[in-house]
Amino acid sequence: MRFSDFTSYDLILLAQGLGTNIALFLVTSLIGLLIGLGWALVRFYRVPVLAQIVTFLSELLKNSPVLVQLFLVFFGLPALLHIRVTPVTAATITLSANTAAFVYVIAVSAIESIEREQVEAARVFGITRWQVLRHIVTPQAAAFAVGPLVALLVNQLQVTSLISVIGVVDLTKIGHILNMRTLKPFVVWTVVGLLYYGAAKLVALLGERFENRLRAHSAWRGL
Amino acid sequence: MLKVENVRKAFSEVTVLDGVDLTIAPGEVVSILGSSGSGKSTLIRCINGLERLNAGRITVDDFDVSKPKELAEARKRSGTVFQLFNLYPHMSVLQNITLAPIEVLKTPRPEAEAIARKLLESVGLADRADAYPAQLSGGQRQRVGICRALAMQPRYLLLDEVTSALDPEMTAEVLAILAKLAAQGTTMLFVTHEIEFAREISDRIVFLDKGRLVVDLPTDRFFAADGGRAQPRVAQFLSRMRKD
Repeated sequence: MRFSDFTSYDLILLAQGLGTNIALFLVTSLIGLLIGLGWALVRFYRVPVLAQIVTFLSELLKNSPVLVQLFLVFFGLPALLHIRVTPVTAATITLSANTAAFVYVIAVSAIESIEREQVEAARVFGITRWQVLRHIVTPQAAAFAVGPLVALLVNQLQVTSLISVIGVVDLTKIGHILNMRTLKPFVVWTVVGLLYYGAAKLVALLGERFENRLRAHSAWRGL
Repeated sequence: MLKVENVRKAFSEVTVLDGVDLTIAPGEVVSILGSSGSGKSTLIRCINGLERLNAGRITVDDFDVSKPKELAEARKRSGTVFQLFNLYPHMSVLQNITLAPIEVLKTPRPEAEAIARKLLESVGLADRADAYPAQLSGGQRQRVGICRALAMQPRYLLLDEVTSALDPEMTAEVLAILAKLAAQGTTMLFVTHEIEFAREISDRIVFLDKGRLVVDLPTDRFFAADGGRAQPRVAQFLSRMRKD
């Protein structure tokens, strides 16, 4: 194969790669959020046994490298269970679980940040535990958690680049291919980097707007 | 009738309430006096079910607060106002007041809001319905706290040192509202350090000392030399609290 120059057509290839990252990011973030919040609920209601399992699982996930988890799911699971795991499936499972672990940690600390008096001030009027969760705990916890959550999501977007290692053709993988073809590493990786940057900035900006809305009245917290 | 019978409450090794008996009839205003750590606030927290009793029984209109099924009914009948207000910071004044009526009493929202606005008007905060707690002064917050409790139309109003976090000017504005409520015949259990005010509005005064209820007398008897003052702890407490 002959080397060829970097062309505008390659930008479309890169954009397609970025599309893969964003799609995977959106899907795994959604699944991760739902699972992480589910785990936090298990903890909030102090479900016996399950609460301990959830804490242990989250510890395991956040204290080991995502790349190792990815290898375990992609190479380890098929070997153990004799099943086929496609790269996209492995990436979805791993990133969802990893996001869930961090969402869980953020949600739990957000719930714990709410003063006990807030809950008591509602309970004394006969408001049920579920109504307290809905009207008192969730809105205040959301205002507390939105900052860390946006930071987490920005990070998880970058983490999607790891899937190129197991053969998913994402932005990083395409960058790699273009690099081999053009032999212009500086140009290729600069463009790849800028594309990630743009996507991350978009996530951060959307998050900031959401944060401003949620924190509109808790900014003072003079209580 | 609100009945406290032989209630004992201990936190690990420390006994905070040691066999307390107290009865409050509808329409009565009863003040609880006592030094810090005498168990006044804990007594209120036992009555509204925030603390579990170690022994004894508390009933609010015959609903036992120790029985989970009856606690909800008991709580509907008592309204608590807290020392540090404990308003919900993410809700407007109006939402703070209407949350419990809408969720617990299932009052339709328009009706709940109408009641809330009327209450706000009666405490001089008609124009602050859409403000958030952080935008209010301490005295205003506590007035909202009182409205929040009154919105549940409680049979018994429990007031836990409601002026302790306020400066004298704000204290005066809150006490004025309580005096008005007392005059209207609201049943109140009033934990306080405002002795002069307690003397003005109370039908009875009880004195707690180290978790024991040592005096329970009509107000004029409480301050009489051969009544409450005959108790050395009461005499000591009164002379310390009053600057004259």
